[in-house]
Amino acid sequence: MLLISSKRVIALGLALSAVAITGCGDDEETTSSASAPTESAAAAPPEGKKITVGLVTDIGGLNDRSFNSLANKGLEDAKSELGVEGRVITSKSNSDYVPNLTQLARQKTDLIVGVGFLMAEAINTVATKFPEQNFAIIDFPQAGLKDTPENVKGLLFKENEAGYLAGTLAGLYAEKNGIDTISSVGGQKIPPVDGYIAGFQAGAKEASPGIKTLNAYSQDFVDQAKCKELALDQIDRGSGIVFQVAGQCGLGALDAAKEKDKLGIGVDADQSFLGDYILTSAEKKIDIAVKNTIMSVQDDSFMGGTDEIFDAKSDGVGLGEISAAGQEFAAQIDEVKTKIAAGEIDIPTEVK
Amino acid sequence: MSTPAPPAEAPGSTTAGRLSGFLRSGGVITPVLTALLAFLIGGLVVALTGKNPLTTYQAFYEGTGLSWLLPWTGEREFAAANLQSTLILTTPLILVGFAVAYAFRAGLFNIGGQGQYSVGAIVAVYVGSSLPDLPGVLHILLALLLGALAGGLWAGIAGLLRATVGANEVISTIMLNYIALWIGVYLFGLMGPLQNDTDPSLPISNDIVMDARLPVFWGDAELQGLHVGLFVALAVGIVFWVLLNRSVKGYEARAVGFSPDAAAYGGINVGRTYVTVMVTCGLFAGLAGAIDVLGWQFRVATNDIQGSQIGFLGIAVALLGRNTAVGTMLSALLFGALLQGTNVRNLDPAVFDPALAGNLTTIIQGLVVLFVSADVLVVYLYRLRRRRNREEEAAPPGVAEAAS
Repeated sequence: MLLISSKRVIALGLALSAVAITGCGDDEETTSSASAPTESAAAAPPEGKKITVGLVTDIGGLNDRSFNSLANKGLEDAKSELGVEGRVITSKSNSDYVPNLTQLARQKTDLIVGVGFLMAEAINTVATKFPEQNFAIIDFPQAGLKDTPENVKGLLFKENEAGYLAGTLAGLYAEKNGIDTISSVGGQKIPPVDGYIAGFQAGAKEASPGIKTLNAYSQDFVDQAKCKELALDQIDRGSGIVFQVAGQCGLGALDAAKEKDKLGIGVDADQSFLGDYILTSAEKKIDIAVKNTIMSVQDDSFMGGTDEIFDAKSDGVGLGEISAAGQEFAAQIDEVKTKIAAGEIDIPTEVK
Repeated sequence: MSTPAPPAEAPGSTTAGRLSGFLRSGGVITPVLTALLAFLIGGLVVALTGKNPLTTYQAFYEGTGLSWLLPWTGEREFAAANLQSTLILTTPLILVGFAVAYAFRAGLFNIGGQGQYSVGAIVAVYVGSSLPDLPGVLHILLALLLGALAGGLWAGIAGLLRATVGANEVISTIMLNYIALWIGVYLFGLMGPLQNDTDPSLPISNDIVMDARLPVFWGDAELQGLHVGLFVALAVGIVFWVLLNRSVKGYEARAVGFSPDAAAYGGINVGRTYVTVMVTCGLFAGLAGAIDVLGWQFRVATNDIQGSQIGFLGIAVALLGRNTAVGTMLSALLFGALLQGTNVRNLDPAVFDPALAGNLTTIIQGLVVLFVSADVLVVYLYRLRRRRNREEEAAPPGVAEAAS
């Protein structure tokens, strides 16, 4: 008996280790499909100077349907519309950032884009070493880099404006359908996340003054279970619309909304692909930011050492597709957006 | 048979002899065949995706930077950088390979290399990022030592459980991996006690202070040049060989690996050997974690602890290296080169989709483990059956044998 059980134990151990060894490479399967559009668009005439662009993703991978995939879309658009050459390098760990950026810099890539604030330190190091190359970093201010290299541009977004628009829609919908509570699930209490949530709450209260807003942080951007748990709790406490601001983790929050027949609001990218229950998405148009930056390098107007802020006015933030349930408010949303663009609404950036 | 010799010294007549014979005779040829077969099947997979396996493997080879060693071929700058990366990856693989190999020679499966590696990295990053006034060399030595010790203690738990209550080390080391992982996530996570002081939004440790970083002897120190940790790993290779083949501890470990019963009969304290072997393995793996942190990573993020596979790769390294010093080092170089060669940043998407290449590495790894562990498992099960058969036989023959 004892021998048999120990035999099983060994087999189990080897099986487990094999799973552990083989289970690591599953996050990048969509890269091939992501690069497919290039070929179909290859016929488009190149309009400007032939430049090379490199994109380094963070460890979320290209199929995050968020920052990385949006940045990649911006690059793909630039490839087909502007005739630039592009290359995407995905990172598997935090220590991949420096060699990935260095590789592109050594290849004399004209513009190197780092996706996400996690890459700030690596961008700082590599940009300082290669002052001839242009760099851009998404979601991080240039002045925040340790050596403030003059060849780096920060691409920032007014999350609070996108959040405000989403909150307005949520408030209008809640008012009409008798929902008295809405909620948000944030990944961490950091400025970009809180910008969304603060805007969301302000927008909802403006549209539906008596509405109750719940908010919670998962302290995680990856583990969907954590966000799902928080969202389920919020739904238990009466929330009818859940706004996720937690990347991959937040997909769990949206899943909770789906499960309980509530509505969800996506973040960063247009997440309407998840289903009809997605009321809308508060978007950072990273694709537009990347494409515009590529364009500026192409026509020599790229200015390192500064930040560019993408807001409702420049159409750098906004709402994604609005579901059928929310369509009746689309006109009102457009009005609010015009007001925001005109600077008529004061939107908070911090969650109280 | 005039003197009572331990069964281990009678090749062929016992399982122990078979195992040692297996390790010796298959020593060079089987691992090479295993690797070739894995690459062959990997090549078939490449062909199935419609790409040319030869040009793909050629591209992998170029990505490894091994062409730098042949100065008359190709360019130098990229090859140098790639070879540095390959060797940076090889360094910890050598050590975690030893961590698995040494246990294996003592008849133990150390699946806990990953946890021991993480614990070593956690302690090393704590030591290396605090005590800023300590002189550089002392600081490095202290961080390496404490990192290795932490790994040793961690693995020692599994050894102790095996020795005292007979808990199978396969299970306990796997479980200890998870404990190490979540301890790390807790320590460096948001609002964790060791989270960095500068940015509360990042789940990451403090940086290793400049003085405590391992010197870089080839390439740019700021752009991940090759650090001296490689020499530490090579030196440990000599230690490993001496320990295993020329020391009392190593003899005891091997004797227990051949047959615990015979070892006990020969006067070896089997329980204590289990503990010392596991502690030794943990020292190797913990040192690997410490070297990675002090040599090129300089900080530990929670998602690195969660995503790291290096300790598991050590199993494949040790199995392919047949648990010998030289074999493990060569096998570590192969896997280091494979990891670097299939790296996304080096592959031209026109030759082979980089995203698929990463999976191809995994396939080749898996095949190696499968092929090697298949025959190791055959021997292991054979050994169990023999032992059971022996027990089922009446005691008298054994007594007679011992008496003769």
